[in-house]
Order: sequence, then C-alpha cells, then structure tokens
Amino acid sequence: MTEIQYVGEQLLPGQIGHFFIILSFCAAFFTSLAYYFAAKNEESSDFKSWRSLGRYGFIVHGISTFLVIGLIFYIMVNHMYEYRYAWEHVSDDLDLKYILSAFWEGQEGSLLLWMFWHVILGFVAIRICNKWEAPVLSVVALVQLIMGVMLLGVHVELGSYAYKFGSNPFVLLRDTMDIPLFQNAEYLSLVTGEGLNPLLQNIWNTIHPPIIFLGFASLTLPFAYAVAALWNGKHKECMNEVLKWSLFSGGILGSGILMGSAWAYVALSFGGYWAWDPVENASLVPWLMLIGGLHTNYIARATSRSVGSTYLFYIFAFVLILYSTFLTRSGVLGDTSAHAFTEMGLEWQLVGLVMSFLILGLYSYFRNRSSLPKHEKEESIYSREFWMFIGSLVLLFSTVLISGATSLPVFNSIVSYFNPDFVGRVINDPVPHYNKYQLWIGVFISFLSGFALFMRYRAKDSQYFSRAKFWRHFAIATVGGLLLTAWFNYFYDSYSFEYNILMFATGFSVVACIDYMWSVLRWNFKLGSAAVSHFGFSVMIMGSLITGLNQHHISTNQFIFKDILSEEDAKKYILLIEGRPMFMNDYWVTYESDTLQGFTRRYEVSFRTDRESEKPDFTLYPDIQYNKGFTKIAALNPSTKMFWNKDIFADIVALHPSLQDAEFAKEMEDTMKFVTYDLEVGKTLELDDYSIEYIGLSKVPSHPEYIASEASLGLEAKLKVTEKLRDTTHTINPALGLKGQLIYTFPIKSNDLESVFKIEETFFDKIYTAENELVYENFKIKEGQSFSHEGYTYKLLAFDKNPEHPEYTAEENDISIGAMIEVTGPSFNTTVQPIFLIRNNQPLSIKEYVLEKGLHVRFTKIDPQTGDFHFKVAIDKELKNTKTLPLKLAEGVDRTDYIVFRARVFPAINLFWIGSLTMLFGLFMALYQRNREKK
Amino acid sequence: MKKIHIIAILAILVAAVVLISASGDVSTYATFDAATESGSRVKISGELVKSKKIVYNPSKDPNYFSFFIEDSDGVSRQVVLDKAKPQDFEMSESIVVTGSMKEDIFYADDILLKCPSKYKNEEISIRNSG
Repeated sequence: MTEIQYVGEQLLPGQIGHFFIILSFCAAFFTSLAYYFAAKNEESSDFKSWRSLGRYGFIVHGISTFLVIGLIFYIMVNHMYEYRYAWEHVSDDLDLKYILSAFWEGQEGSLLLWMFWHVILGFVAIRICNKWEAPVLSVVALVQLIMGVMLLGVHVELGSYAYKFGSNPFVLLRDTMDIPLFQNAEYLSLVTGEGLNPLLQNIWNTIHPPIIFLGFASLTLPFAYAVAALWNGKHKECMNEVLKWSLFSGGILGSGILMGSAWAYVALSFGGYWAWDPVENASLVPWLMLIGGLHTNYIARATSRSVGSTYLFYIFAFVLILYSTFLTRSGVLGDTSAHAFTEMGLEWQLVGLVMSFLILGLYSYFRNRSSLPKHEKEESIYSREFWMFIGSLVLLFSTVLISGATSLPVFNSIVSYFNPDFVGRVINDPVPHYNKYQLWIGVFISFLSGFALFMRYRAKDSQYFSRAKFWRHFAIATVGGLLLTAWFNYFYDSYSFEYNILMFATGFSVVACIDYMWSVLRWNFKLGSAAVSHFGFSVMIMGSLITGLNQHHISTNQFIFKDILSEEDAKKYILLIEGRPMFMNDYWVTYESDTLQGFTRRYEVSFRTDRESEKPDFTLYPDIQYNKGFTKIAALNPSTKMFWNKDIFADIVALHPSLQDAEFAKEMEDTMKFVTYDLEVGKTLELDDYSIEYIGLSKVPSHPEYIASEASLGLEAKLKVTEKLRDTTHTINPALGLKGQLIYTFPIKSNDLESVFKIEETFFDKIYTAENELVYENFKIKEGQSFSHEGYTYKLLAFDKNPEHPEYTAEENDISIGAMIEVTGPSFNTTVQPIFLIRNNQPLSIKEYVLEKGLHVRFTKIDPQTGDFHFKVAIDKELKNTKTLPLKLAEGVDRTDYIVFRARVFPAINLFWIGSLTMLFGLFMALYQRNREKK
Repeated sequence: MKKIHIIAILAILVAAVVLISASGDVSTYATFDAATESGSRVKISGELVKSKKIVYNPSKDPNYFSFFIEDSDGVSRQVVLDKAKPQDFEMSESIVVTGSMKEDIFYADDILLKCPSKYKNEEISIRNSG
C-alpha cells in the first residue's frame, strides 16, 4: 500500500506538542532528582547548586506544561480535526466561550488542568517555602512525573509484549480509527467535530472544574510536607509550616465540592444537592480525611502529640484523591454512578499511580516512625486534644464507611479476577444506606465540635476555662439544643428518634458555638475561626436534616389511582395541559406558554395561590435543550424559585414523544388516518364527539405558518366545531396555499378535539382557475370612467398610493398604485382594488378575484401621456362551487400540548447553603489568621 | 490500659457491628425467579426486550411506564416503573431496576440506564456542505 498524501493536515503543532510533553516529563524527573539531592545535602556546600538545578528544572517543566496546554487550545480554537482531541471536543458551531469546558471535557485535558495547578502551586512553594523548598518540590515533581506518564503516548515493546504508556492528546484522528474515510486524501474537508456534550455547555462547567482541580492539586502539598518531614525529622517545624497549605486545601476543595453540589441542584435534574454518588463521594472522602488531619495538626502544634497521625491523615488524603481519580477514570464504577465517563484505557497506569504514592507514603511513615515525638503521660479527658483526636477518629471512621461502600465495584472486580464465577455485590438502596450511618457520624461530630471549644489544650485552667465553667456551658448548650429540637418538631416532621438526636446534637453545637463566641471570645472574630467553622458545620447538617426529611413533591394529582404504588411515589409527576390551571398543594399551577430560542425551548409555568388573580405569585422557567439536529432532547433543565425559608424546584420530565424525538413525530404523522367528508355550507356534520359546521371560505388564510406574497394564493375554510360533552365551540380554519407551482396544505391540529383538520388539495383547483385558462379582455379608461364586461360594470373611482392587498407586502423602492373599482352586476355590488406595481424596473400586476362571481380583475398599465389606465378582466366559464368543502379529518390524534411536570419543595435549604459557606469561611479565616501569626 | 486502647477496642467493636448490619444492605443482582420467591425488594439487571411493547402514555398516566427486560437467566418479565420514561431509554444497553415482584409484574421505583455509547462516538459525521 502506498502512503496517502493527506491534504490540509497541519502536523507541526502536534509534533511540537508531543515534544513538550516529553520535555515536561523529563524535566519533572530531573527536578525531582535535583531537589532530592538538594534536600539530602542540605548542610553541605553543594546544596545551593542542587537547588538551582531543581529550580531550573521546574521552570522548564512548568513552561513545557503551559505550552502543551496552549497548543491543545490552539488546535481546538482552529478546529484542527486532524487531531482526535479537537475532533472529539469541539465542533464548528461551538461557542468559543465553552472552549474551556471543551478542553477539560476529555481525560487528557482534565489531567493537564490538575498538572497546571501543581505547577502554579510549585512556583508558589518555591517562593514561600524557604527551607522546605527542596524536599517538598522533590515530591511535587515526582507527582508530576508519574502523572505525566499518562500523557506520554509511548509504545513499549518487549518481545511479543506491547504496552502503551499514556494517551497523547495530540494523537491524529486517522490513527485512532480504521475506516474507509481515511483512504480519501481529502478526508479533512469532510470531517466535522463532535462537539461538546450539551449538558456541559453551561457556566458551571467553566468555573467548577478549575476549583475542584485546584482542590485536588492542593492536597499534594500536605502530602509532600508529610513525606519530607518523615525523612528529615523536623516535625515541629513541619507542623507549623504545613498548616497553611492544609487550610488552603480544605477551603478550596470544600468550595469545589460545594459548587459541584450547587451545580447538581440548580442546573441539573439530579433532584438534589447530594446523592451519595460515587463521584461525589470520591472528592468528599479526601476532604474529610484532610479535615481530620487538620485537627490533629492543631493538636500537634499545641502539644506535639498526634504528629504521626497528622502525617497519616495527609498521606491518605492525597492517596485517596488519586484513588478517586482511579474510580472515576477507569470505568470500574460502571452502572453504580449517574455520571458518565469516557475511558482512557489506562486502568493499570491509574492503579500504578495510586499504589506508588501509597507505598511511598507508608514506607516513609513506617521507616521513620521511631523519630516521632513520644509521650509518657496520657492526655487528660478534660483536655481539648483528647476530644479533638476523637473527632478526627470519627471523621476517619466516616471516610472508611463511605469509601468502603463506594469501593464495592472495585471489590467485585478484584474478586472476579480470581474467581470468574463470582457474582458482583451491589447496595440495594445507596442513599438510605449512607444516610443511616453518616447520621451517627453527624451526631458525634456535632457534639464534639460544640463542647470541645470550651476545653483547653493540656486541660489547663484559666480565666475562661475550668471544669465548673465547662459544665455550665455544657448545660447552656443542652438547653439550647433541646429548644431547637422542640422548634424543629413544631414546624417540621422529624419521623423518628434518630433524627431528633441529630437535631439535638446540631442544636447543641450551634448554641455552644454562639455561647463560646460571646462569653469566651467576646465576639473577637480574629480568634474565632474554629467557632465559626464549627457553627457553619452544625447549621449545614441541621439544614440538610430538615431539607432531607421534609422535601416533598407538590405536583400531586389527587385523583390518581393508588392501589399498587405507595402514596408518595404515586404523585411525583403530573400532566399539565397548556393554559389549564391545575391545583396542587396550595397553588394553581398553569403551563402558560413556551418559546424556542436556538436549541432551547423555554416553558413558562406560573404559580398562583388565588386562581383568579391576574398576576401569578411567581413563575418558573424550566427548559429543554435539543441536540444539534433537533432530533432528540439533549437535556431537561430545572428552574428554582428561592424563598427565604424554602425553595420550589420544578422540572419537566417528559413531553409528548413527538416533541422528544423527530423520528417519532414523523412516524406519528405517517400513521394518521384521514377520512374525507363533504361539508355543505349551513349544514352540520355530526360526529361522535363533536359537530362541524362549515361557515364559508376566505382568500386570506389566518394559519400561522401561511405567509402571503405576490406569487402566492391562499384559501381558507372557516369551520365551527362544537364539542358535545363540554358544549364548547372552537373555530378551526384549515388552509391551502399556492406557492410557485406547488399547492401546500396547512392543516389545523386541535389538541382539545384530538383531531387534525385539513382541506383536500384538489379543492384548490376547483376554486381557482389556472391563469392560462382564463380569457382576458383589455380595457383602457380614465379616472371616473367605466367599462362593461359580461354583464358587469367596472367603474374606476380613485387611486390609493399605499394600497393594501393580502398578497402584497410592500418592499423598498416599490412603486405601487391600487385602483379602486366599483363592480356592479345583477343584484351585486362590490369594490375591488387590483394593484399595479413596479419592482426592480419590472411592471407587475396583482390580481383581484371576486370568488362569488368568478371575476378576475387586473390593473396592467398606466399611460402617462394619454392619462389612460389599462385593465384586463376575465370571468370564469361556470360559477365555482364554494358550497361543498372536501374536508379531511383524522380523529383520535394524541394531544401534544402538555408537559409532564414535577415540582418539589425543599424547606430550609438555605440553612444548608449558609451553613456550608460559613464553614468554608471559617477555614479561610483560619488561613488568614495563620499567615498573620507568622509576622 | 491506656485510654487510646479503650478507644481502639471501642472503634473495632463499632466497626464490627456496622459491618454486620451493613451487609444486610448489600446483595447481588437478583433474577426474576428469585424475586418472585423472596417477594422482597431487590435490584435486577437486565437487557431491554425490544420486541415487546414499551408503554409510556403521559396523557393517560404520567407515572406509569412499562417495558420488558430479560434477566441474566434469560427470563423476561414486564417491569412497571412509577416514573416518567427516561431520556435515551431505547439506546440503553443494560438496565438496572430496583423494586419487587407482584404476581408476574416487577414494580420498580428506581431505574439506572447504562448507555456506554452516550459519550463515545466511533462514527464520524460527515459535513453536509464540504
């Protein structure tokens, strides 16, 4: 086979890109090694030169990484579909504002985003880490090295064994598929990009990934510090230094998780802010681990206890974020997650990534365990460190439970590997499962985060802290907690005692935090980061408890048949017919209208407490998004109305199938059965469900799709249809239209009558005589004069310089004159207005047709010299029969003017958002405070 | 005995209790026959039987969706879901439903579709106007 010379490919950017991937990889190796030697030779004279080598290495690595990212953007912005990455993630019509989303839609892009943040954090670390620069950067570069393997795209062959390392984002499309298209040298001009998944085309997907990946990347620093300190033994220093990185990481990763849940809640139809989905758990677990470490870190700073635990927490937080990457990118989660993943085919490399750092971390710990500070005396149970440590253990317990359940698919794969007959295990109802256990975690953490505030490190007594005082504050918090539990039971349903215990625990903590701020800190917020974040945590749990227990559907149909399904399940979805208000739980809900904009159809659904009121109380706008070809629905987006004490959340679950799927719509049209009826004017056709009366014909169709123009002719039948059951009357006006040589049918679909009405096409020719069959006679007259033709007198009355005519739409530079002509015949009198028109230097005449008498009148010429006006008239040979209308009628056609709608109330959801934001704010406060302390 | 040891023993005890109680939440994918026998709430994974009727008629009842799936033993049964028909239902390769059997019908309240082809496309769409 000869090599094909492809036309239009630009291979240079890809080659440069791949070069920089390899350079970045090698530089990471070099950096890690150089910094390693710098750290080893800290005391010697070689230190500075090793460190500079490391710095140069990291700069080269960083710049290469940036260039790789830049080149990927270059191929994407320029739609270079010869590259698979561009082909997969962009399309010609993709808005450039989504280019970032498109970049990290793919695995390679999101991995590069992660590495990008490592580079940025690495540069920051070089600036601010001082003595810790060398060992920390050595670990960071090692992380970059092992992650970089996944982008290499290098094939290694050992004898018959071939293995591919990594997936190069610059791989060519034609190298990834073996299809006949690539036999064509000009294939590139035929290819168009796949584009970005419409679900991801929103602002959330532009802001959420950078934050969550910054959170991921920031976990590397505490890990690096832990490994470094284990080897160099500077535990005390490390505990001081690492804290700011952990606080930063806790704040950012927490924000990323929260933003993800806000995205799920506001913009996606997941129906909530947290679903214990494996992907959500995968980022929650490392965060919990980190928060556990943060607390032992504080203990270690104050008492030099728990240093080893802090290292382990930080090591596991990082390993777990790698493990979460393995879970979400390897496809192992399979059908347990609602999230969709693309597989990169690098499962074993991901396993390698997780294992290498797990081994590095644990080896560092166990090898150097002996250097950790030792304590003979136990901590007192009145000491803060004792209970903080218990709290961290509870968090650890929580992570074990969550990751254990999330990892069930991994367990299944491992067992199946050894025992192919093994049948995989699944959790029957994941959400209740997680809630059941995490509830108790919430109880413990809430209590601890409340009363531990009133304790002192090493149980030292002081002005504010004594055992007596502790018990006094404990009593205040208990009373407060009981009052809040009573309030909760009064306003909301609590269902069972566990929930009351959790409510009491969170109430206890909320009151304790406020009490602490007031009586101990005297509202000095500079010292209050712990109280603020604990307060936020408790409010968050309280909010999720109230919301979780009391969220309910308000879309209820009271008349539904409830024999099999439980009551709550039976009333989730409701059918709303356009314009017909429906009562559901305090509201009259009406589907008012819908509008199509681009690929989005937006529905207006109004809510009224008083049915008669003109203005609705509020209106929601759920929408649906079609795919590019308008053939399928790509996304159903909810809409939320926020009140101070609750949210009302609504989405559309389904439409009539014909509106969801173009194929179905066509099928439905093809299977309609039309029956032809001959209707007589003045007589009524009686059918089973309704009667039809034929009123008459009109030349001006009112059908919304009919567009009148100079070259068109229209015909409309006026029908009055009376429903028998409800005794309501509908005006139905089906139409026909002529455009050029073709006759178009304009049927009317009535949803209320479940029928489609149309006029038989042949009727058009029966009403309108073809122009070439007419015998015109010419006349020329002056204004005020008249002429006669076939028994009718035509009198030219006047002229109209702005004539109106159903088939005439004025255009720029038109010269048009309408002649007003009075037509008089035997017991007949009317006025017509044919138009003479000059358009683009072409004379045209627009005919008037008197349907009842079959008269055709044209205004053909103006003679300025003589002042004559030329007309031509013709008459149909026989009178048209307008009395009989051939109507084609299809009955039993599904109504399509409805939405299947779901509305839910989330009570007190703002407590959840306010609480979680306060908690994160507390973390950032602590970071700010930590940075001030140093100065 | 140190306090930390007491805590460790407590933690192990709690962990054991949790593990035992959690094992009740875990099961294998059931088959229709097993579901009929036990009558309890189970998860069934199966393939959509495309030759049988798929019924979703919102104007009649928006909370009734019926279809047939074939489980791993090759037994096919009608499944009735009290929800709207999910998007891309016909495209799914395998379907997991949670619910219980009553007579010959499986009443489900939860459904999960697996559409591996959803975001993966090995076909190239050709430009209309080159």
